[in-house]
Amino acid sequence: MSLWCLRTVAPCMEYIDNDKCYPPPGPPPQVWFYNPKLVTCPKHFQQGEGRLSHFYYDPGADLLRAIIIYVTTYWPGWDVQRLDFSAGTGDWVNRADVLARKVFVGIWGSAWTGKSTMGSFNKLYACMNTGTPINEVDPFTLNPVPGGWTVDPYRWNPKSIFGAAVVNRIDNYLAGVSSWTLDCWKNIGTAPERFGQLRLPNTLGYLAYESRNYCWIITRDGVICKADYKIPRWEMISKVQNPGLPATDFAIALDTKRKQIVVFRSRPDGDDGACRHQLEFYYPMVNPAQLTQPVPVTSLKAGKRVVLVAHLIGEAGEGVTPYTVNGELQEPVDGRLVTPFSGTEMSGRVCFQYQAPNEACEETLSLETEVEETL
Amino acid sequence: MYEKTFESTKLALPKDSGAPWTQMIFVTPWDAFFCANMWEWARVFRDGTKVPYGVPSGGYTPLPRVGGYAAFYSGNGRIYGAYEIDQLPNPNEILNPNWAIDYSHAPSSLLGAFIDDRNQRYLHQPNANSVRVYDLGSGAVLGNITHNAGEYFKTIAWVQHGQVAGICSGSGKVKIMDYLFGLNVVEAGRIDPHRVAAYDSTFHVLAAIGMDNKTRVYCREAWPFTLSNPVFEPAAVYGLKGNTVKVRLTGQEGEPCPGWWIHWELEGGGGAPLGYLDKYVSQTDKDGWAWNLYFGPDDNAVGQTKIRTWVALA
Repeated sequence: MSLWCLRTVAPCMEYIDNDKCYPPPGPPPQVWFYNPKLVTCPKHFQQGEGRLSHFYYDPGADLLRAIIIYVTTYWPGWDVQRLDFSAGTGDWVNRADVLARKVFVGIWGSAWTGKSTMGSFNKLYACMNTGTPINEVDPFTLNPVPGGWTVDPYRWNPKSIFGAAVVNRIDNYLAGVSSWTLDCWKNIGTAPERFGQLRLPNTLGYLAYESRNYCWIITRDGVICKADYKIPRWEMISKVQNPGLPATDFAIALDTKRKQIVVFRSRPDGDDGACRHQLEFYYPMVNPAQLTQPVPVTSLKAGKRVVLVAHLIGEAGEGVTPYTVNGELQEPVDGRLVTPFSGTEMSGRVCFQYQAPNEACEETLSLETEVEETL
Repeated sequence: MYEKTFESTKLALPKDSGAPWTQMIFVTPWDAFFCANMWEWARVFRDGTKVPYGVPSGGYTPLPRVGGYAAFYSGNGRIYGAYEIDQLPNPNEILNPNWAIDYSHAPSSLLGAFIDDRNQRYLHQPNANSVRVYDLGSGAVLGNITHNAGEYFKTIAWVQHGQVAGICSGSGKVKIMDYLFGLNVVEAGRIDPHRVAAYDSTFHVLAAIGMDNKTRVYCREAWPFTLSNPVFEPAAVYGLKGNTVKVRLTGQEGEPCPGWWIHWELEGGGGAPLGYLDKYVSQTDKDGWAWNLYFGPDDNAVGQTKIRTWVALA
């Protein structure tokens, strides 16, 4: 299993344009700005350095929602807005309101809580930044809901403090991450018991709930894994497409309606201060990324039959199947390719057999496969 | 020396060139190799394609596990299994619950170890010439395998049921050892000196990443190193008779090279060669011997003749 990139929306958001910039070292003293670096040429925006604090899919509204904390030139030097994106297209649907600063959600939700994700009963849950409990949070302010559902893993054995968690209240399961491991707990409503752990490939970027069995993680370097947190077991590993594109962080949400993975890639602002954050939509399915070179794994003697092995793999090296790989000997041909095509196995492996002639020769085997973009 | 079947043009470069690869382990479900250094865990394919997917943490030291998997030694003396899908340490699976392996018996980036939790064995190297076999359940010593490699195996990799391959990175020496039934060396070979190496238990080849970060693949057939002088059997040679003559083709470790074609030729000592040979090519048998018949001159001619033999390597 791998991830097929459906679309990328880049950039997915904008900053309020100042329409003017000031030569370095910045605005003259009589023109007062908070954070004057944002309008020091070539930068010319009233906002900048947008930092994502929450990212989740709202199934009721069928929207992806992102809470962004900005550094601003206007009072009080920061701003927090909630941005809504179409889950189907990635379009920024409340662009006009955000650029008019009408979707201010306050700093406290982002200061107190972090990395919220949908959980049981389509409610939003988040770990506290300022404490140890995990709370049901208000989907607009991100503050804990007064009288809402809450647990405190610090009171469990072993004591735990999580930075992100998925909550399954129906089956009384919870999976939380502090740094390197996904801790899986059961009986959270009665006698909590940590029954398993999954070690992450790298430190966590974001955690997203999928269902009563599954959750998704993305690491700080863009590796995406799916876990069955009730066994527990890793189900797949893949990676964002174009992982080399500079990024400061990654967040992930699962569109439960379309079964799509949506990645919010935070990127450094452009030279002119423009926002470069982007949304990437993935569908979990086979996605060949590269075909490795055929390698002989048997003796290369004249007259012998030689086995050659190659792999069709995805972005994280995972094997992709089912695909057919065709082989062809390049001219001049001395021997014979006994296997002109081969189907990929679970590891993505394909094997070819070549019958060498009875005298010394040099051959070139070229491989190709056809990938149809069916979506 | 084992026959090298492939040398990559791609370079399997570690993330930080100052932190070279420290471990390479064949992973059966991947049909590729788990490679680790200080900064990254990566999947490396036989052709040198490298795909990083993780970052080391938590003091885990990778070591090969029975069946062609990775396992991870932790500082608490426990060895953990790995998840099949991504070979990340599985903290839920302790392979040595009854015996905490102390640090003096732990694997390291220089000193390979091996765990067989199916048959409850743990292999560790007390010195550069032997491997010690422990009972994984009790920590009791079950015996030693003396291999006399004179160098620590950087890798002790799984080959097949009851067999491991010890691979020295400095000399490239390879010893295939039986650790379950005979506690002995069953095959000796050699590959080029390298940075890390592993045994590919699917195709029974050895793969290595060299100092130049190229991957190399070696099949377990000895590459010819020595061709003996022709030997008559019996030693006395007669005319008018087919005299049996043989040569032996061996590798660098003295291991036989079967299946190679030996070319035969008679050379006269200043004149025409005397007598004739039955065949001009013959193939070495499983012990590396190639056979021929020499018929002496039938006209009572006197003189010298030489038998010249050679092997075409390429």
